[in-house]
Amino acid sequence: MKFKINDYTKNGELFQRALKVIPGGVYGHQGPSEGCAIPITAFPIFSDHAKGSYFWDVDGNRFIDYMCAYGPNIMGYNDDDVDAAAIEQIKLGNCVTSPSKVLVDFAELFCDTVDMADWVFFAKNGGDVTSFSIMIARQATSRKKILMLKGSYHGVAPWTQKLGCGGILEEEVTNNLYCKFNDLEDFKRVVAENKGEIACFITTPYSHPVFEDNELPNADWYKTVRDICTKEGIVLIFDDIRCGFRLDVKGSDYHYGIKADLECFCKAIANGYNVSALAGIDSLRGTATDVYYTGSYWLSAVPFAAGIASIKKMREMEIHKVVRAKGEKLESGLVEVAKANGFELIVSGEPSMWFMRLKNDYSSMIHQEWVAEMVKRGVFMTSHHNQFINSSLSDEDIQFTLDIADEAYKVVAKIHNIK
Amino acid sequence: MDNITKAKINLFAVLRNIQDLCAMDPVAQEIIKNQKISVQFNVPKVGNATLKFVEGKCAFIRGKAKANLKLSFTSPEHFNKLVDGEKTIPIFINIFKAGFLLDTFTKLAARLSYFLKPTSELLADPEYFKINTYLTAYTAFFALCEIGNSDRIGKLIASRIPQGDIQLRVVEGPEMVINIDETHSMSVRKGAIDEPRALMQFSNLQTASDILNGKTDIYSCLGAGKFLIKGFLPMLDNMSKLLAFVSKYLA
Repeated sequence: MKFKINDYTKNGELFQRALKVIPGGVYGHQGPSEGCAIPITAFPIFSDHAKGSYFWDVDGNRFIDYMCAYGPNIMGYNDDDVDAAAIEQIKLGNCVTSPSKVLVDFAELFCDTVDMADWVFFAKNGGDVTSFSIMIARQATSRKKILMLKGSYHGVAPWTQKLGCGGILEEEVTNNLYCKFNDLEDFKRVVAENKGEIACFITTPYSHPVFEDNELPNADWYKTVRDICTKEGIVLIFDDIRCGFRLDVKGSDYHYGIKADLECFCKAIANGYNVSALAGIDSLRGTATDVYYTGSYWLSAVPFAAGIASIKKMREMEIHKVVRAKGEKLESGLVEVAKANGFELIVSGEPSMWFMRLKNDYSSMIHQEWVAEMVKRGVFMTSHHNQFINSSLSDEDIQFTLDIADEAYKVVAKIHNIK
Repeated sequence: MDNITKAKINLFAVLRNIQDLCAMDPVAQEIIKNQKISVQFNVPKVGNATLKFVEGKCAFIRGKAKANLKLSFTSPEHFNKLVDGEKTIPIFINIFKAGFLLDTFTKLAARLSYFLKPTSELLADPEYFKINTYLTAYTAFFALCEIGNSDRIGKLIASRIPQGDIQLRVVEGPEMVINIDETHSMSVRKGAIDEPRALMQFSNLQTASDILNGKTDIYSCLGAGKFLIKGFLPMLDNMSKLLAFVSKYLA
């Protein structure tokens, strides 16, 4: 074998310390449980530092990172321009009683960038703004019910979860309705059955559930959805938290040829600095002020400064074109490498954030084994979630990834006697 | 919690343990060694089960089977009271076999209760520990399926479990397969299969005991390599939600 296998001794020791003082050691999607580190012995748990397309773990292992912190890293970790802007702002002030003027500078730039945005409201996490969007829709329509896609993810607030999940009351999800993506008949049926009662339809730009093939919108899906929402007085909300800026810097609704009423952003806005945004159309501006919503750090200036630097740079390079091209190159390379080793890799979703699985792998176990072999050799991926491309990824990185993919497929092929 | 689901758990998860108890525990074997009897339990809205004792062995049969002692209960609550140890008498057919109920069955039930209510001192005994862990694991995963098929919220959770087989394995311990069919009905059987869609594996009896008795959490065991999950994890994710209901029903 050509590539060294990582040692995770220090990761393991640190995880044992973490378990004593943090529930689950590392909670949430970045932890080994929800993050599907299968087996955990193949994965790093803690990073030491990061730069560009790479991070180094506490054992000193380097990884080309295709999860990009689950999306925020869009231009490479510790981008020099973004960091410089943030550092300059730190010198001026961050969390101050009266917000910095960069709030206005950032809002102006944001509205000038995102096609549908007549106004913007900043917070910290994606869930802050998806919840705010629901509240605005209910306030604007005086309706209770919210329609969303089956299998979609809009955060962890109680309304986003299901009955039977820990800590969720029936009353918190009783007004939730669900329909199938790309199924206009199903969408029309749910709207008809709840006529005059639906406040909003909140949707991701395309269907990107975990563990399943991702699905792009059919040609007539959004046009019809937009028309019905307008006709029925339903607020159309785009949850662009995961896709935002990777499909189009003008917004994913723009990418798919429609205009949402409200659009939620987070992850990639400021290349890792913590800020989220809810953008809206003019007619909902007043309603947004009717809903009291705020947070201790939502007007911190440093992420705004970072966001200004990020958006300027993303606009300048037309980043969505860059990450798409790199994604297409990697995707096709991985499919070829898999084929050469006797596997059929199924790729779905947008190339800048593709999902992959193996054909004829009902349990996903073979794909999980391959991902584990990749990670052990220094390419960080997950088996259950879409991956992410960042613009600092080089052709050499892609070739390195394909070389490791080849060795990893050979290891798995040998185990399963695949030729 | 509803009484019908609780009675289903008591009948199809707790009571069925008498079969395994008689296979593993010398004391239970002594209690049944000269017994040749089939006892049928009939619980309205819950179903039927038969315990067949012959040649020093016990077999649990889900449903009706030929029986020479039939015990009928007036309601799920009536049956639950019996299992909970409250003084209650079922309606029985065949007065000549009533002695079995009053003597042998009472002793077996007490023995089962002894193994399902561990203390630190009892768990220090390796034989007790082994039987307790087997019975606890069987109870938990058989009960889990009853909850998924019967409890209102349990059925909602089961409806989200993708179709297929989940292999549950305790290395050098019990193995079970949970099947979720196309209607999201759940069933469980002992044993192993070659190609499950998802796997949950405990590295040994100690790990299974610690997790199922709430002495440790799965995260610690994952990190220590004592607990492994792989395959189509949405199955395990939702199954774990059902597992959380088991302790509420059995509390």
